[in-house]
This record gives sequence, C-alpha cells and structure tokens, in this order.
Amino acid sequence: MAEPYLVVENLTKVYERGQVVALKDLSFTVEKGEFLVVIGLSGSGKSTLLRCINRLIEPTAGRIFLSGVELTKLSPRAMRHMRRKIGMIFQQFNLIKRATVMTNVLTGRLGYNPTLLTLLGRFPKRDRELALKNLERVGLSEKAYVRADELSGGQQQRVGIARALMQEPELLLADEPVSALDPATSHSVMQYLEQMNKEDGVTVLASLHFLSLARRYGTRIIALKDGQLVFDGPPEAIDEVKFKEIYGEEAEEVEVR
Amino acid sequence: MIWGYVAYGVMYLLNKYWWTVPLERFYSTLSLPSWGWPLTILGTLEMAVLCRNLGRSLGLRAFGLEVWGAEGGPPRVGQRLIRLLAWHFSGLPFGVGVLVSPQRAWHDLVAGTVLQPSPPQAARRRAWLSQWGLMALLLLGLTIWLGWLIVHIDIGVLFRRGEEGLRIWREMLRPDFRYFAVPDPVFELRNLPYSILDMAVVTLFMALLATVLGALVAFPLSFLGARNIMGFSPVGWGVYFLMRGFFNVFRSIDTMLWAVIFAVWVLWGRPLAGVLALTVHTVAALGKLYSEQVEGIDPGPVEAVVAAGGSRLEVIRYAVLPQIAPAYWAFTMYRWDINVRMSTVIALVGGGGIGDLLFYYKNEGDWAKVGAVVMVIVAIVWAMDYISGRLRERIT
Amino acid sequence: MTNYPDGIVKDPPKWLTPQGLLDIVTPVLQGMGQRLGVVFLDLLAVGVVWILVSYTVNWHSRGEISYTLAPWWLFGLVTVELAALWESFGHSLGFKVARRELVGPGGAPPTPGQRVRYFLGWHFTVLPLVGLVFQRPWHERWAGLSPQPISLEGRIPPPWWRTSVGIYVAVFLVVGLAAATSTTVDEESLNRLFTQAWRTVKFWRALFSPDQSIILPSIRDLLVTIFMAVMATSFAVVVAVPLSFLAARNLMRGPLGRLIYTTLRGALSIMRSIEPIVWAIIFLVWVTARRAPFAGVLALWVHSIADLTKLYAERLESIDPGLIEAITATGANRLQVLRYAVVPQIINPYISFTLYRWDINIRMATVVGVVGGGGIGQRLFFYLKNLAWQQAGTVMILIVILVWAIDYLSARLRAKLA
Ligand SMILES: Nc1ncnc2c1ncn2[C@@H]1O[C@H](COP(=O)(O)OP(=O)(O)O)[C@@H](O)[C@H]1O
Ligand SMILES: [Mg+2]
Repeated sequence: MAEPYLVVENLTKVYERGQVVALKDLSFTVEKGEFLVVIGLSGSGKSTLLRCINRLIEPTAGRIFLSGVELTKLSPRAMRHMRRKIGMIFQQFNLIKRATVMTNVLTGRLGYNPTLLTLLGRFPKRDRELALKNLERVGLSEKAYVRADELSGGQQQRVGIARALMQEPELLLADEPVSALDPATSHSVMQYLEQMNKEDGVTVLASLHFLSLARRYGTRIIALKDGQLVFDGPPEAIDEVKFKEIYGEEAEEVEVR
Repeated sequence: MIWGYVAYGVMYLLNKYWWTVPLERFYSTLSLPSWGWPLTILGTLEMAVLCRNLGRSLGLRAFGLEVWGAEGGPPRVGQRLIRLLAWHFSGLPFGVGVLVSPQRAWHDLVAGTVLQPSPPQAARRRAWLSQWGLMALLLLGLTIWLGWLIVHIDIGVLFRRGEEGLRIWREMLRPDFRYFAVPDPVFELRNLPYSILDMAVVTLFMALLATVLGALVAFPLSFLGARNIMGFSPVGWGVYFLMRGFFNVFRSIDTMLWAVIFAVWVLWGRPLAGVLALTVHTVAALGKLYSEQVEGIDPGPVEAVVAAGGSRLEVIRYAVLPQIAPAYWAFTMYRWDINVRMSTVIALVGGGGIGDLLFYYKNEGDWAKVGAVVMVIVAIVWAMDYISGRLRERIT
Repeated sequence: MTNYPDGIVKDPPKWLTPQGLLDIVTPVLQGMGQRLGVVFLDLLAVGVVWILVSYTVNWHSRGEISYTLAPWWLFGLVTVELAALWESFGHSLGFKVARRELVGPGGAPPTPGQRVRYFLGWHFTVLPLVGLVFQRPWHERWAGLSPQPISLEGRIPPPWWRTSVGIYVAVFLVVGLAAATSTTVDEESLNRLFTQAWRTVKFWRALFSPDQSIILPSIRDLLVTIFMAVMATSFAVVVAVPLSFLAARNLMRGPLGRLIYTTLRGALSIMRSIEPIVWAIIFLVWVTARRAPFAGVLALWVHSIADLTKLYAERLESIDPGLIEAITATGANRLQVLRYAVVPQIINPYISFTLYRWDINIRMATVVGVVGGGGIGQRLFFYLKNLAWQQAGTVMILIVILVWAIDYLSARLRAKLA
C-alpha cells in the first residue's frame, strides 16, 4: 500500500508563553487530491495545526511527513525548499498593502529565484507572464498595477490565491480564508479553491468556521476541540449530536448561502 | 516643471560655487564670480532639458504626461536625441515652438513624437532605475557632499584630538559629587549659594510652574482658536485668525530666544526669566495642540446638547470637554516633559536653574563637576520622562 | 517523547522542579511586592508634600532654598505615621494606583474598630518589613481586612473632593505651586517685570526695523544651519536604521536578545536625556571652537540617533506579523522576508520620522549655535551679547521664516507619505 500523501503523527504543540497546550497528540492522514476541511471553535487549534505543517510554528513533539519526507526533521534551509510546494492563504490576506497587485503576486516566486535579483525587485520574464496568467485566472488581470490596499476584501483574497498559485503548489493550506468576507464573496473565493483542487489536483487543507461551507466544499472533515481530534469523516457523517459535541451545547447551525 | 527647475537650479548653483570659488571661509559660500551666474543658469537649463527628453521629467510626471512615438509605443533613442536637439531651438527662445503650435510643439514635430497622458496601468520601470529615483539619489549625494564642505566635517579631528576627548569623558565619568547637598564655596562670590540638589529642585519647580501656568492660559485660548467653536461670523473669523497667528508666531520663536528677552526684562540668571520664557512657549505650543484637538471632535454630542437647548458654555462643558479631556492631559504631560528638558539648559541664556551650574563649571573646565551635574540632569529628565509616560499611558 | 501530553498533565512533586518552586515563590513575592509598592508610594506621596511645605516655609522665613525644616527623625516619624493613618482610615494613593481597597470578609466595608486594629498592627508588620513575607500579613488577619480589587458594583463613586486621593492631589498641586512660586519668583525680578517693560521696547522696535545690510551674510549662516541639520539627520539615519532592529522588542528574542535590547534602550534614553546643547559644549571642547558647525553637527547627530532609533524601533514593534508569515510561507529566505514583508511596512513611517527629525534638528541647530555651535545661532547670540537689538531682531525674523517654511514643507511631505 502506498504511503498517504500527508501524515501527521502524535502532533503536540505547547506555547511556552502562557503554558497553553494548543494541540494534543494529534494524528491523521490526508490522501493526494483531497479537500480536507478543519472545523472547530475559535481557539481550538486550527491555525496552530496548519502552521505546524509548513513549520511557521515549530511543533513541540510529533512528526509530519509530506510525500514520505519527514518535515519535522528538515533543516531550515531544506524546509524553505519544501515550502515552495506548500501554498498558504490567510484570513487577513496578509498582502503587502503599499505594493501593487503584481508585486504581491510575484512574491509567490521568491523561493524559486536568486536572492540578489529579488532584493532588487527583479523577476524573470517567465514569472511576470505567469503572474499575469494567474491574475487572469482569478479574474483580476485588470487590476495588475493597482495598489493592493485599493481592492475590496474578496479581491484581496483572490490576490492571495494568485500568490499561492505562483508557487505551483502541491498542497494548499488555507487558514479561515473566508472569515473576513461576506457570504456571496465567500462562495466565489471557495470556488477558486475548489477549482485548484479539482483541475490542478492540489491537495487542500482549509479551516472554516461555517459547517455549511465545510459540507458544500469538503471531501472530508476533521474537527478539533481543545487541540484534540474529535471527528474525522465524510461531511455527511456530521449530525446533530456530533455538531453539539464539536461546538458545545448552545450552538445552533447557521447556513451560509 | 517649475519645481524641477527650481530644485535643479538651487542645487546646481550650490554645486557651481564650489568649483569656482576656493572655499577658505564659509562666509563666502554664496559668492560667484560675475561669469558664474550666466553659466549656472545655462547649466540648469541644460540639465532640465536633458531630463525632459531622456526620461520623464518631474514636470511631465506631475501632469501625468509621457513622450510617445507618433506611431505609438515608446520613442526610440534616436527620436529622443532629435527631440533634445530640436528643443533648444523651439523651447529655449522663450518657448516659441510651444507657443506657435501648442497642440504639438516644434520639437515634437521634428522628432516625430507626441505628448500623451500616460496610460494608468502600464507596467512601469522600477522606481530606482527611473529618472526620478536616480535624480533623488543624485540630489541626496550632492547635498551630502555640499554639506560636508559647508559644515567643515573633519572626522579626523575626533581622533587627532582623541586625547582631549577621552580626558573630558574620563573626568565626567568620575563625577565629583562633593557639592551635591552643600553649596560650592566659590558661589559665595556669585551670590548664589546653592547646591546641585537645590538647583535641581528649582529646575523642576520652574518646569512645574511653567507647565501649569501655560496650560491654564492655553485652555481658554484654545477654544478661541478652534474654527468649529468660533463659527463663521466675521468676529469669529477674526478671533480665530488672531489666535492661530499668535500661536504660530510665538511657537516658532524658540524658548531660548524668549529666555534672552525675559532675562533682559527681569534679571539675568533669575529663575523667573526662565519660567516666563517657558510659559510663553508653552502657551503657544499647547494652544495650537489643544485647538486642533477641539477641531477634531465628533460633532454628534454637540448637536445633542444644542438640541436639548444648551448654551454655548454648556455645549463646551457637556459635549466638548468630555471628548477632549484625555488628549488635553496627554498633551500637557508631554509638554511637562519638554519643559523639564528645556529648563535644564535654559540657564545658558540667563534663565536660571541647574544649567547655571553646568555652564559655570564648564567654563571653569571642571569636568568632574560637569559630570555630576549632567548625571543629575539625566536622572531628573529620565525620571520625569518615565512618570509622564506612565501617566499618559494610564490616561489614554 | 511519546507520552509528552501526559507528561504535561502529571508532573513530579511541584516543589522539586525549578518551575514548581517558582510557582510557589512567585505569588509570595508578588504579594509582598504589591504591598511594599503601596506602602512605598504612600510614604513617597506624604514625604513629597512635607518637603514641598518645607521649601515654602524656609523660603519665606529664612530666604533659603532648603528642604530641612525639622530634624530628620521628626520628618521620618511624621511621614510614617501620616502614611499609616492614610492607609488605615482613607483610601490611599498607593491602594488607588494598585486598584485595590481594604474590605472586610465578604466584601463588607471596614468598621472603625477594624481600621484602628489595622493601623496598630501596621506598625508591627509593615515597618520591620518581615511581616510582609506571609501571604496574608498579620495586621490584615488581626483586623480582618484584606486588599481586594475595587468593585464599583452598586456604588456611586463619590466626587473627588470627598475622596482622600482627590484631596491629596489638590493639596499636592497647591503646595507644589506655592513652593514653586516661592523659590522661582523673587520680589526683585517680579518688580522689574512690571516696572521695566520699557527695557524691551527697544527690542520690539528694533524687531520691526530690520537691518538690511546683514541679511545676506545671515542667509549664508542660515544655509549653514540647514546643512548642519541635514548632515546630522542623514548621518543619524545611517546609524539609527540598523540600531532600530536591535532595539525592537519583538525582534530581540531570547536571553541574549533581551540583554542587547535592554542595554541599548537604556543607553539611548540616557543619550536622549542630555539636551543637544550639553552635547555641543562637550564636542566643542573636543573638536575646538574653530570647527563650531562640526561640533553642532556631532551634538545633533548624537541626539538624533537616540531619538530616531526609538521612533523607528517603536514602529518596528508594531508591524503586522501576518505578512511575515505569508512571505515565509512562500519559501522565502530571511533577506527576502526582510525585503518583502518588513521593508514595505516601515519605509514610509521611517521617511516620515526622518523628516520630522530634520524639522526638529533645524530648530535645534539654531539653538545649538548659541553655545558656539556654528550657523545662524552663533550669529544671533553674538548680536544679543553685544546688545545689537536691531541686528538680533533681523536674524530672529529670518529664523522664524525658516522655521515656518521647514515646518510647512515637512508637514506637507509627511501628509503625502501617510
Ligand atoms: N503565540 C501564541 N502564544 C500563546 N498561546 C497561543 C499563541 N497562539 C495561539 N495560542 C493559543 O493556542 C490555542 C489555539 O489557538 P489557534 O490555533 O489560533 O486556534 P484557532 O485558529 O482554532 O482559533 C488558543 O488557546 C490560543 O490562545
Ligand atoms: Mg485561527
């Protein structure tokens, strides 16, 4: 049997400051091409989990394998090399606000280009063309030379997606990509993620707040509660009882259309 | 365009004098020989012309224009050079070429170029490569070069006289606190029998008095200097401009200058002169800050009080004051901080306080005692900075 | 490593591990520190008022600036007793600052009897300090009172003149102003202030009849002043930018980083506490008065470094960590993260701070000239010393114009950058 694409083994994260145990002995696997949705309350450790995978946060204990490579053992240099294949998008978009959309998108190629040139702000012609192509893909070719902070929230998140696309990723980590957006915009952004997943075969790990969105886009759902895995299965398997278990007794399910 | 010319002109002029006049004394900085001026003007124009034609000049940039080839696309190098040459015949003689055919100037016709609004979304060249960025770098370099010469910067002297410098530091770092609490006997002659500690306290008192007085005076004045309170009647306008003018003029005369005036007025070296100088400057500075704060208030509560039938004073008491109180306190604390700093040195111009000792000992060359005074000053300023920072934090 | 999560939950006996020991000692120290802080503040507050009163009384009775009114033991005794009374029978400044108040069991307001016992017990536990080691000091147990966080539930806060802290602040201000006026305002100069206004008439008149013959040389000196400010600012930037990274708390992690951060910040604040004028007199002796403008530049330079580094570092401390994460996640290395995540966030504020500082430096450069630091200030001081009012007035007008112009220019530029 082939090894699963992403393996998380006994992952534990303790924040030194405040002695918070954010992740407790977490284990799961992800197959290539899956659209895995992580749900859970605020503070349940979703962001910590996603950031442990590309080691923006150093795990305290446990191991993570990506296509058989143990990420947790890599040197910083090798990890940087690996990160090129792991795209990431953020709740707050995290764009360079004062720079043009083009520059923002090009930063996705930083890992591929020599430092000296990128420090001067130069990118190869091929990258510039690729950037335009990716912007067209997210429907923003008009805005290539507009400053990023002049865009609406949905457009900014699409720039974030284009930046991730520039990395030609195999794995995409999306940390609450639509939490700062309104429902209609949320769907359009989620559809781009779905498209990446289906057409490019990118494995997606997305944390979401709304169960309805998770059901609509996810091929599988895992749920965290206080840093522990409380559910792992197909979207349909989450019923009333499970829902209450994940979100607490008082919670009501809300639809996002 | 004019700005570009002026900037280049000034810089070029300054550059020029260095080549033509041997710099013996910096008082001769602006003198040029008689033939220097025309040369300078010509050089400036030439520079402007170069920039206009080879890149996008500042003027073109400001108007959002760009030079394009007639058949579209950026102009070729040849076209640029021809335009440059032609410009001397059409632009230089008082701009005939432009005046005669304003649509498309002569030099543009000759070179086969057009001036167009630049397309907003064109991929630009990198800023640091563009003529603008290069110009900025050039100007910066030139400025530093000039400054180096004008100010007579001579880093070597720091080392050549390193012995001397080290001696000062060594003596200052071995401070002489003998007269910290008891007056130095030499002052009996100066009729100022005060110890360092006494003077430190006086300095703090000076700052305290100046700040409180200044804030008390600035407070009512700030309403007179706020446009939204004064309204738009002619009297209101008049008072507003008077107040603002007063704040601005008095603020830009430094505390030290005020101290000189007051030192002549009252007695040289008496703390009162320093207090008055600090107070005047405080009134002007705080008045400006305060009134800007009043202008920035949210008009909602004012409307509410007016709607409830409040008079102008009631509006100030119930709608304006609550909104500005935290900022007022913060500004006052900030000013207190500045006043403490200033009062430590105001003695230099006859303002009294601890600076008196500092400059006296310095003139005596008694660096160990200077060191002691400086340390006391640092302690005072540091402590007051800390306290006012903490208080400001708590208020806001 | 495999049973790590359990290890977090089940620890060896607490007091055996350093962490456990710390856990036990910390609250004791914290409680002690807090109570000490309260007492210290109250003593300070009472003592300062006493000293202020002494200054006032001494000045008026003996015409001296002196804080000794009574023997030191009387001073100590009165201060301690007053502080104790204040803490027991009122709501003292120390408690107010610590946001605590004394309450009986169950949050009941203290009775007079309890207060008296607190006052008496205070002498035996707080004064020798040892009593504070206990988690609940003995006098608190005896009186049945304990300091609790202030709760305003169901209470109308009294107006300030009914609270002891309010009264204290009022008294402090009154006494402070009294002491300040008595020591700084002497009769002789006050008389002159009112009777000798004519002395300045000459000055005001001169101010409005400028001496045109000195305008050109004055403009040259103005130029020197401007260049002094420019040079000081640009050299300060070169030093302050790298230093700011070392002085930013969020970038300096770990024990070594903390050490660098603390020492640097301390050194900078000392450098900032010394006015440029004082720096100038030091440098003037060093590089000799022949190179006065250079000494001025050095003085401004030192002060600007301290100021700019602080401003820059504060800006660095508030940068958005999200962008750093985002750029790191693309596989960028440290330099690239610096270039694409940090620099875009700081470049405009840095330029704007620099302009602001340049503006200040121009003003300070004129002042530094007064001690012989070169430029227009030196000229001005020369005229003032020789009582050449007309010339001094001319120079002052020029300075005001320059300061205005620079102020306006830098404000416009900064508004554009924001
Ligand atoms: N930098 C940090 N330092 C200390 N504790 C943290 C830090 N970041 C997150 N935590 C804590 O870790 C837990 C998980 O946080 P997070 O992963 O952000 O949850 P989520 O993304 O699901 O809202 C929370 O209890 C949070 O308070
Ligand atoms: Mg989160």
